[in-house]
Amino acid sequence: MSSQDHHEESFISKYIFSQDHKWIGIQYGITSLVFLLFGFTLMMVMRWQLAYPDTVIPFVGWMFEDGMLSPDMYNSFGAMHGTIMIFLGVVPMVVGAFGNYLVPLQIGAPDMAFPKLNMASYWTYLAGGVIMVYSFFVPGGAANSGWTSYPPLADIATTGQTIWLFGMVFLITSSLLGSMNIIVTIVQLRAEGLTWGRLPFFVWAQFVTSFLLVLAFPPLEAAGVLQLMDRLAGTSFFLPSGLVVGGEILNVSGGGSPLLWQHLFWFLAHPEVYVLILPAMGVVAEIIANNTRKPLWGYKSIVFASVWLGFMSFIVWAHHMFITGMGQGMSLFFQTTTMIISIPSVIILSALFITLWGGKIRFNTPMLFALAFLPMFGIGGLTGLPLGLAPTDIHLHDTYYVIGHFHYVVAPGTIFAIFAGIYFWFPKITGKKLNEGLGKIHFFFSLIFINGVFMPMFIQGLAGVSRRLADGGVSYAHAAGVLEWNEFMSMSAWLLGVAQIPFIINFFMTIFKKVDGVADPNPWQSTTIEWTDTTSPPLGHGNFEIAPVVHRGPYEYSVEGASEDFIPQTKK
Amino acid sequence: MNFSEVYSRIKIKSKNQLKLGGGIWFLDPPKDVSLDGYRIDDVIHYTDGIILFYFGIVVLLMTYFVIKYRARPGHSAEYDKGDRKKNVIITICMGMMVFLTIDVVIEGMAFRDLKQAFWKFPKGENVVKVEVMPQQFAWNFRYAGLDGEFATADDLIPTQNQMHIPVNTPVVIQIAPYDVIHSFFIPNFRVKVDATPGMVNTLWFQATETGEFEIACAELCGNSHYRMKGVLTVDSHEDYQKWLSSQDEEGEPEEDDWGDEDEGVPTFWGWSWKEAI
Repeated sequence: MSSQDHHEESFISKYIFSQDHKWIGIQYGITSLVFLLFGFTLMMVMRWQLAYPDTVIPFVGWMFEDGMLSPDMYNSFGAMHGTIMIFLGVVPMVVGAFGNYLVPLQIGAPDMAFPKLNMASYWTYLAGGVIMVYSFFVPGGAANSGWTSYPPLADIATTGQTIWLFGMVFLITSSLLGSMNIIVTIVQLRAEGLTWGRLPFFVWAQFVTSFLLVLAFPPLEAAGVLQLMDRLAGTSFFLPSGLVVGGEILNVSGGGSPLLWQHLFWFLAHPEVYVLILPAMGVVAEIIANNTRKPLWGYKSIVFASVWLGFMSFIVWAHHMFITGMGQGMSLFFQTTTMIISIPSVIILSALFITLWGGKIRFNTPMLFALAFLPMFGIGGLTGLPLGLAPTDIHLHDTYYVIGHFHYVVAPGTIFAIFAGIYFWFPKITGKKLNEGLGKIHFFFSLIFINGVFMPMFIQGLAGVSRRLADGGVSYAHAAGVLEWNEFMSMSAWLLGVAQIPFIINFFMTIFKKVDGVADPNPWQSTTIEWTDTTSPPLGHGNFEIAPVVHRGPYEYSVEGASEDFIPQTKK
Repeated sequence: MNFSEVYSRIKIKSKNQLKLGGGIWFLDPPKDVSLDGYRIDDVIHYTDGIILFYFGIVVLLMTYFVIKYRARPGHSAEYDKGDRKKNVIITICMGMMVFLTIDVVIEGMAFRDLKQAFWKFPKGENVVKVEVMPQQFAWNFRYAGLDGEFATADDLIPTQNQMHIPVNTPVVIQIAPYDVIHSFFIPNFRVKVDATPGMVNTLWFQATETGEFEIACAELCGNSHYRMKGVLTVDSHEDYQKWLSSQDEEGEPEEDDWGDEDEGVPTFWGWSWKEAI
């Protein structure tokens, strides 16, 4: 490993084709922030159409014919919003950025186990992202069959779908490279004395997440290639015989099954939900333990529950398919497993919650985001219950209720955890704390407006308004009574956009701020190795001057009789 | 036709054409006019109630913790790892409490409802059978003729976007498309089923009131998915018979308007009825 020697590196090998896990983590972080903003912008444009149908879209209207989104364009934006937010925004952020930057530092390793693989993972991801963005400019626009790409619609869609599949193959490959790297790093490169029982929960969460990625993504990669063959090579893996589209017989051999795609897709996409949420829980656990000045309550229970959650997440996928007619036995099995998977989630959440009990709670910006995560993720989880049952899902499936449910899990859930993590680890990465005042403005307005966006979706969904309607439901009389919420939701969405401006200002202001002297390596008085044994920012390639040796568990806060209210893991 | 024209037409239509259980803004599904829809509403209501209860407890406790245990001079945190046997038991108990009061109850209700209603397909003479063939972007409905058999020469001419059923009579539909996936959704009946090419799905329901209700497509099926709308008319028995015979009078099925035999495009759709299990 070329890690310990501090030889001179050229600009390109240091900042562009870097093999240093810290710089790759930063590359991942910045790229995924840009994509998160892009995906959010798509949604802000769509929300204009839903709130004020039939009027020209301000600011960006000139890009579209008639100044409005055509139904095809609306479907494109919807599909790409989902794809970008999940595969180009949140997963690269929680696994690529947080995992890459923090896992080696928290386990006392000089770098990832395979630095070149790590670099390849980032560049494959970026290639996937560029391909996805490029797809907006091909004839017919970007993929418009939903982020789920159900065939036969996706098989007969415009060129954008082909580009989407190419992009997905790149993104999946990138995730596979990254997650294998994290598994090997955690297994092989833990510092001396850092036993499995002493790992910070964040590392455990990354470990379970990486297994989910390694095991769940290959089926989708295979399915993606099969759909690509259907589109390009004339196969019909997902096309049954006798298809007639628009009065024309489709010239395919047939014999395939559209349901097969749904099984393969959801076999990835349900574990994917836990890929989004487990690292977020890891981030929140670190921040809550640190800011309550208490050990994480029930560490072993949480670790056990997260492993259990990981296993269970592989046998719940078909609860997305209750109304497809896949069979009664299947429905019964999957609704039962779906009910069981709620137990480990409840255990993790209540352990985090009980950690507050008897603490000494500091209310800094990362802690506020972490605290808000608990009830917000709670709403997301609880509203999932009626969706997990075959009968209630009959009414709620594919309505706005579903959209509200999973956005509560991912937006005020995972994305709040991402913000918490950014505010928390920013001083480690740059040596400077983000401004607290701007941070709190960012937090409170985000919390208010994000609920304004998603709460009314439950009301619309219960009323039976379907998702993916280019006019938001204006065509349907049964939706008429709840459509007045659209304006409220859109206003909230745009104000949520405005509420991100303090964050952007804060981000750049802090980066360019000049500070004299050496930065405090441990501004939050934390116990874990990345704070106690490195400088801020950590040294170049290699991280540690002296290899750390671990003597105790990760959350030794407020130990009776100790001189300070925290004892670092590496203190004898 | 451009988009704005479409919009303005739809707006006028939706305001004048149908009078449904719209206008509801609180947490309630639209008016239920089916025999078994109440079952779904019951489970939703139970779940809503109990999750609000638990969520309320969590929010109250959290507010209390956040105020009581805030950092202030002279206050220190308790060192409690929560790893003792007692704590593990408490954790498991909490998990089990939520599991028993929510999951087991609603799973039980769901199981009962599936067995007693949704999967108990009615059989017998009085059952009305309809075959449905959704296409981009319309609903086609086929009724058997006097022989009661489908896919025979005396089937009625399929209707488009107009479905008629008699009130207080079990209705079984079988649905299969030839193009892409659609989903047959009647919000006022709490019924929905996917229509997937290559397979025939079965669904049953029973109306308790006469009137006109909307059939919506719930699965993205292309650019005009948002206006793929049908109308379900629930008639009294006399009206239904009258409507059936008026359909009958139109004679033998002729060529469908979306086919051409020379190109090998089927001019006839339908399948012989498959008894549900």
